[in-house]
Amino acid sequence: MSAKQASVHAKWIIGRVIGTKMLKTAKVRVTRLVLDPYLLKYYNKRKTYFAHDAIQQCTMGDVVLLKALPEPRSKHVKHELVEIVYKVGRVVDPFTGLKVEGTQFLEPFADLADDLDKKMSLSDQIPEVDSSASSSTASSLEPRTP
Amino acid sequence: MPMKGRFPIRRTLEYLQKGDLIFKNRVKIMTVNYNTSGELSEGARKFVFFNIPQIQYKNPWVQVVMFKNMTPSSFLKFYLDDGEQVLVDVEGKDHQLITQHVKKILCKSEEVLHVEALAKMQESNPANFGPKKYCLKECICEVEGQVPCPGTTPLPKEFTGKYRTQMAAAQE
Repeated sequence: MSAKQASVHAKWIIGRVIGTKMLKTAKVRVTRLVLDPYLLKYYNKRKTYFAHDAIQQCTMGDVVLLKALPEPRSKHVKHELVEIVYKVGRVVDPFTGLKVEGTQFLEPFADLADDLDKKMSLSDQIPEVDSSASSSTASSLEPRTP
Repeated sequence: MPMKGRFPIRRTLEYLQKGDLIFKNRVKIMTVNYNTSGELSEGARKFVFFNIPQIQYKNPWVQVVMFKNMTPSSFLKFYLDDGEQVLVDVEGKDHQLITQHVKKILCKSEEVLHVEALAKMQESNPANFGPKKYCLKECICEVEGQVPCPGTTPLPKEFTGKYRTQMAAAQE
């Protein structure tokens, strides 16, 4: 066995923090979809894991990503916290980077506010394009340097 | 007696086995963020309703998690083995478009699936005998039409080794 084998089968899991009363440990509830053999429908099955959280940055209700430790840290703790995916109350939209709450944005769009102020100055900056047939031969627009 | 619920065909083994999204081995977690109302999330909702059971059936070791009404946008996020994360925007897309896109970026291709199927067939070669874990039969006596196991019925005298050696010794 050249490569170190992790102590558990599940290497990476995502779950919600349900307890932070332990020192440097977060209790995480992980749900997996399990097929009911008769109904043939998938239902969430819960399992709790304990994860090592050195700086105790988790609060109740966070959605966290856990990674399996190469060796069990103690009898129950076999995972460690990698990152908090969605911090409770401070969820950030991955595309805009703004804070959101449910289906609402908490912060206004930054570019929209600036756009209305800068509208005047922008039109002065863009040089006038002379697209008439007579003057289009030699002159060309100066390339904008990024 | 008809099946219960809307689109009960989703709850048939045939439908589940028809799923063609088989993720690469690197994909460990799949997260779907969508909203329960709104036009933009319609494709994501249909994806969850129709395609997630197929995906989970074909990829039993991938953790699939659903988050409802967390952000105004809807997206899929995949967490790969080496810590890499793949974000797929799903807003306004049709569920078939979503499946095609995911298939293109993160699923095993047709050739790989063919090769794997071939390898599996080779493993279950009826010409090989051995432990039940690796081969179909343990001994040729289990095959119909072959000499039955001497453990169950004694062999005819002519087939036994001691009779043959006796005959060979008598001939010399």
